[in-house]
Amino acid sequence: MKTYIKIKGERFYPLRHLFLLALAFFWLIPIFWLVLNSFSSANAMSISRFFPKEYSLIQYKNLLFNTDAANQFPRWMLNTTVIAVFNCLISSMFVLMTAYSISRMRFSGRKFFMNLSMILGLFPGFLSMIAIYFILKTFNMTNSHIGMIMVYSGSSALGYLIAKGFFDTVPTSMSEAAMIDGANQNTIFWRIILPMSRPIIVYTVINAFLAPWMDFILAKIMLNSGIASDWTVALGLYGMLDRSRKSLYFGQFCAGGVLVSIPISVLFVIMQKFYVEGITSGSTKG
Amino acid sequence: MKKLSVLLIVMCLAASVFAGGSSEQAAAPAAAKAPIDLKVWVGELYVDATAKMVESFKAQYPEETFNITIGIESESTCKDTILTDPEAAADVFTFADDQLLDLVNAGAIQEVLVNPEGVKAANGEGSVAAATVNGKLYAYPMSASNGYFLYYDSRFFSSDDVKSFNTMVEKAAKAGKKVGMQFGPDGGWYLYGFFKGAGLEMVINEDGKTNSCNWNTAKGVEVAQGILDLVASGAFVADSTSNLVSGATDGSVVALVDGTWDANPIMDAYKDGYACAKLPTFRVAGQDIQTASFAGYKLIGVNPHSKNVGWAMRLADWLTNEANQVLRFQTNGDGPANIKAAADDAVRTNPAIAALATQGQYATVQRVAGNYWTPAATLGTILSQGNPQKTDLLTLLDTAVAGITAPAL
Amino acid sequence: MAATAVSRVREGLAPVGAFFSSFALAVKKGDIYVKLSLVIMGLGHIVRKRVASGIALFLTEIGFFVFLSKFALKYIGKLPTLGTVQAEMYFDPILFTNVWNDYDHSFKILLYGIVSVLMILAFIYIWMTSVKLAYRLQCDKAEGVRIPTLRNSISDALDTKYYRTLLFLPILGIVIFTVIPLIVMIAVAFTNYDQQHMPPTALFTWVGIENFRQIFSTSLTSTFGYTFAKILTWTLTWAVLATFTNYIGGILLALLINNKYTRAKKFWRTCFVVAMAVPQFVTLLLVRNFFADQGIVNTICSNLGITAFLKNIGLVPEYLNYIPFLTHKVWAKVMIIVINIWVGVPYLLLIATGVLMNIPQDLYEAATIDGANNVQKFRAITMPYMLFVTGPYLINSVVQNINNFNVIYLLTQDVYETTDQLMAISHGRETDLLVTWLFRLTNEYYNYKMASVIGILVFVVCTVITLVAFNVFLKKNKEGEMQ
Repeated sequence: MKTYIKIKGERFYPLRHLFLLALAFFWLIPIFWLVLNSFSSANAMSISRFFPKEYSLIQYKNLLFNTDAANQFPRWMLNTTVIAVFNCLISSMFVLMTAYSISRMRFSGRKFFMNLSMILGLFPGFLSMIAIYFILKTFNMTNSHIGMIMVYSGSSALGYLIAKGFFDTVPTSMSEAAMIDGANQNTIFWRIILPMSRPIIVYTVINAFLAPWMDFILAKIMLNSGIASDWTVALGLYGMLDRSRKSLYFGQFCAGGVLVSIPISVLFVIMQKFYVEGITSGSTKG
Repeated sequence: MKKLSVLLIVMCLAASVFAGGSSEQAAAPAAAKAPIDLKVWVGELYVDATAKMVESFKAQYPEETFNITIGIESESTCKDTILTDPEAAADVFTFADDQLLDLVNAGAIQEVLVNPEGVKAANGEGSVAAATVNGKLYAYPMSASNGYFLYYDSRFFSSDDVKSFNTMVEKAAKAGKKVGMQFGPDGGWYLYGFFKGAGLEMVINEDGKTNSCNWNTAKGVEVAQGILDLVASGAFVADSTSNLVSGATDGSVVALVDGTWDANPIMDAYKDGYACAKLPTFRVAGQDIQTASFAGYKLIGVNPHSKNVGWAMRLADWLTNEANQVLRFQTNGDGPANIKAAADDAVRTNPAIAALATQGQYATVQRVAGNYWTPAATLGTILSQGNPQKTDLLTLLDTAVAGITAPAL
Repeated sequence: MAATAVSRVREGLAPVGAFFSSFALAVKKGDIYVKLSLVIMGLGHIVRKRVASGIALFLTEIGFFVFLSKFALKYIGKLPTLGTVQAEMYFDPILFTNVWNDYDHSFKILLYGIVSVLMILAFIYIWMTSVKLAYRLQCDKAEGVRIPTLRNSISDALDTKYYRTLLFLPILGIVIFTVIPLIVMIAVAFTNYDQQHMPPTALFTWVGIENFRQIFSTSLTSTFGYTFAKILTWTLTWAVLATFTNYIGGILLALLINNKYTRAKKFWRTCFVVAMAVPQFVTLLLVRNFFADQGIVNTICSNLGITAFLKNIGLVPEYLNYIPFLTHKVWAKVMIIVINIWVGVPYLLLIATGVLMNIPQDLYEAATIDGANNVQKFRAITMPYMLFVTGPYLINSVVQNINNFNVIYLLTQDVYETTDQLMAISHGRETDLLVTWLFRLTNEYYNYKMASVIGILVFVVCTVITLVAFNVFLKKNKEGEMQ
């Protein structure tokens, strides 16, 4: 029996790895093309060749050092980082505060809030964009980064489910012991529960940090002054592929895409461990 | 208790904000010597030229202080950005003339009140007509070269070849090359030329909101068949102009219908073979018919919600005066709308502008209501794919016309 | 199911009834101070030595009336008509700018009117609660219960009532940025806000359920009903296909990598994660160009003769000499699903890996001893465990995919043109989801009213799916739990 299984496994050994290699190859081709094009000297997209005619660093050079009306990449990185950092702080606080309250405390509106947030999540997000635009306009906050931060972090509490799932797994004995020692809920939250919730904090923080980097729709509506130095990275790169600019900026788009992907990949890799924990722990506790 | 008191603070704050906000609206406009804020939107390739023009404008009025910012907005999408929130749009903006009707209907563009007579006298008839709605001038004409014509590689085609689409397509098919025109996806603008050339009409009605269109006649069927014949060769492709330009760079596209905005990349692509001509003819029921086109103009408009409408109009007037139109030709190759500037030798001998001028006799000013675009693009796409469902051509045209002439949604 | 729904609604409404009845009780049985608190908020509190909260309540009352007079009344008054004063302006040569009349901006009226109504409701709630509290203070005093001081309240806020402190700001954020916009946009579905009626120059007004009638009807000139039916079908098909292809793909891939005979597990996993980490809008735009009609993949395919082969077997229409990856209505749908697999499997890979690692190994060993082969182990152990743990995630995924805007929008926006003329009239495309159609209607055609109607219908569809799915899933789970 044992020998049979062993041989069977070994027989598939090279096949298995070849198959994985083929899969990985297909998965990485577009990324590979992205990187190739970022090192090409042609500004426009090449449609008949896969490998660029000439290789050069000119796209990176133009992107980073030749800022003009349509390319303000360094500024975009700065803008997006600032927005992301603040969104990170506010969003994470909101999510953690909400998740902790719902998970660890019992009060009369609790079920109502849980149902309401689930219902709100079923509406498509685009519906409210024009209304949010006018709300911000009332306070003169369109075209401002503060407005963007407020919009990204404002409703972030609706995404409390995964964090809540995590807090559900923290044994109540911890809080009870602390209460016996005379601590109030405030102290318990900040001094006891949060310090031991590192995984979920990392997950929430990274998620919140990444959101402004990926969104171009909301940014397009809010940042409508046409002044490129106000844009975020997503909006700027998306604009480069606008019909009138595509033949001039495609190479820079690829370069920008590569530069933006590096920090995001790093964060993703760190986060994936916690992401999985979050999904699975949340589900089992329900 | 604490919840209530915090709620109270919020309500007081909200009350004061709203109260304060509404009282601001009643305040009188600023005093005359305050700095004049103006925001200008131009296409991204025009920023440098515009900056120079703005400087010379400021020099004209040394006793005023100006605060002029230049933002970029693609001229073809200007209307969309403006209509989302007209009050937040730039004070001065450039746009393509096809958007004028929508802007006027939405009340998002100011009637020209500074120097209208001068503008009408100095600029070509077509451009003034394109900027006029119901007898009133609504924009300052800037360039007259926003229409389309044929670019071709003279190393492949002779100037005789390019007289007829059918000849070109035959020759290209033999060599495995392509001739491109964007009459499929998003191609309503180019598709028009085929039908108009055959004498069919598609024009906006008096009410300014619906079209009338007679493409669904026997003649229209013949035109559609003519297009299908071209597509059947395999060398006539409907693709976006940006992809066609990439194709020209690669050498797979030897001729394409496009406008002056792509002159530079095409010049780079065809190098010595760079040549322009009016649109070729195409065969309809045995006859060669000249393809018509839409004339295209770029205009500068003023936002009626601007705080400084008068100064915005002055700036718009300045940006479109003869000298600045010449400057724009020198930096970007835009054919001027100004009569004197257009008569200049350098302008007249520019191949693209010369081709446009020749095509001009077959070009109509664009007056189209919104429901034209999607049904036309769909019609063009079906034709460009060779009518795969083999729908009866008259039915195809009937449905298209129903959509084009439909009442405004 | 209907009976339980009704009883659940009744359960939910019970606290509301209790709220009103206790208010009535407070008014009836309260002493003079409580009754005066009806007019002067906070009086009852001050009298019972809760000075701080009493003053706070009183200031709230004043603030509210200021708000009412200066702002709310104006807009609420115009709410029924959504504005009657048309915008007019004339050019004043002396001021050298335009002078506008005090015109009505319909959307602002709608927005501010709704906000005002909500503020008034909030105020009424505060008012009624304060009176009830004043009454309770009176009762406490009579019974000799100690009245909490300000200090007590603050310490409560950090302890037993901590949830209030924690939840205040987040809930405020949700109200401002989700609830209010939603209510406003739902209201828009009942108006005629479209390109012909765009503020500030034009006014729009209420039209009742006219828009809903339009979306379910089809005529030669208004084909919304037809387009809606087709897009809805594709949306549902897409949501199910996308979710399940990714799910199965992720699980299979996870099994493949996780298998004990596979070396360098982390390396393989990183490959796939990298594909996930590049922002979607970068990869999707790139892939769109990759598969363009005259693009790279087509060039390679025609060079390799694949195009000719496909034409021969009829998969590619005759008149084309390229493969219409993203422009032909059937090819585009297939490609979208394939590309979505490319985008989504890495996520599922991670999740599946996590779950697989948690399955107790002894289950497998026991099965081996019992003589089960790999396929049987998969069906009896792996799949049920996976489904149990990720069940809610799956249902959530289907709903998310109904709203999966990015993939479809970025892949088809500028390249795909519909060849269905009836759909073209309502600006829909065969590959559209309800949300991308919605977005196009607002962004390019300013047809906000139809977009709102579609949004509401999307909500209805998602709710139905969620309710049905959860009911079915929960029932299944109640039976053999993890045997």
